[in-house]
Amino acid sequence: MLVLTRRPGESIVIGHDIRVTVLEVRGDQIRVGIDAPRAVKVHREEVYREIKQTNTEAVASAARASEFLRRGGPPRPPRQTP
Amino acid sequence: MSDPATDPSDTDEQVLVFPEGIPGFPDARRWVLNDLVDDGAFQLLQSLDDPDLAMVVGVPWLFFPDYAPELPEPERRELGIERVEDAVVFCSVSIPEGGGTPTMNLLGPFIVNRHTRVGRQVVLESSTDAVRAPLPLGA
Repeated sequence: MLVLTRRPGESIVIGHDIRVTVLEVRGDQIRVGIDAPRAVKVHREEVYREIKQTNTEAVASAARASEFLRRGGPPRPPRQTP
Repeated sequence: MSDPATDPSDTDEQVLVFPEGIPGFPDARRWVLNDLVDDGAFQLLQSLDDPDLAMVVGVPWLFFPDYAPELPEPERRELGIERVEDAVVFCSVSIPEGGGTPTMNLLGPFIVNRHTRVGRQVVLESSTDAVRAPLPLGA
């Protein structure tokens, strides 16, 4: 991991298109601003990690889940005609 | 390659393309949906790039009628989704290893443009949608 020290107001540039700015430090919280192209998605790490983990769990339980559904699965509301 | 929107005889019309893969599986870009049950509530999302990669997905509103995912503007534009009807939305289903209540990932729905068949798994900015929402199993 590359480690840099910044003061509020200072920035870090990643690649050519991404800039991370330390906006404010308040107690044990740091406010960070990110400039990035629209195509680059930015997420809180723990949220992204949870999505990844849940995908892995879904893949691992695909056989189990398919079997559960073949045996009837959860009750559903009656199908609406479109 | 024929345009899937206008050539229904082309079997490639069933292929969904996720240009960035999905979180955890960034190289899995081509997928198909296979029916699992008669009423269409659940399908198997199967990777064409890796035969071992598949997951059950379901229609969230059947179980969570108030589910209202807000598609962030940049993603909406990227997918070319202008109206609600342009989008196909489904969420992954997991069952914990020891058995137990199946859960649905409402925080990371799959959103596909129904005309272009291009989609992605969107990470919502919501604080109320659970990544493991228990499927209501009661009567």
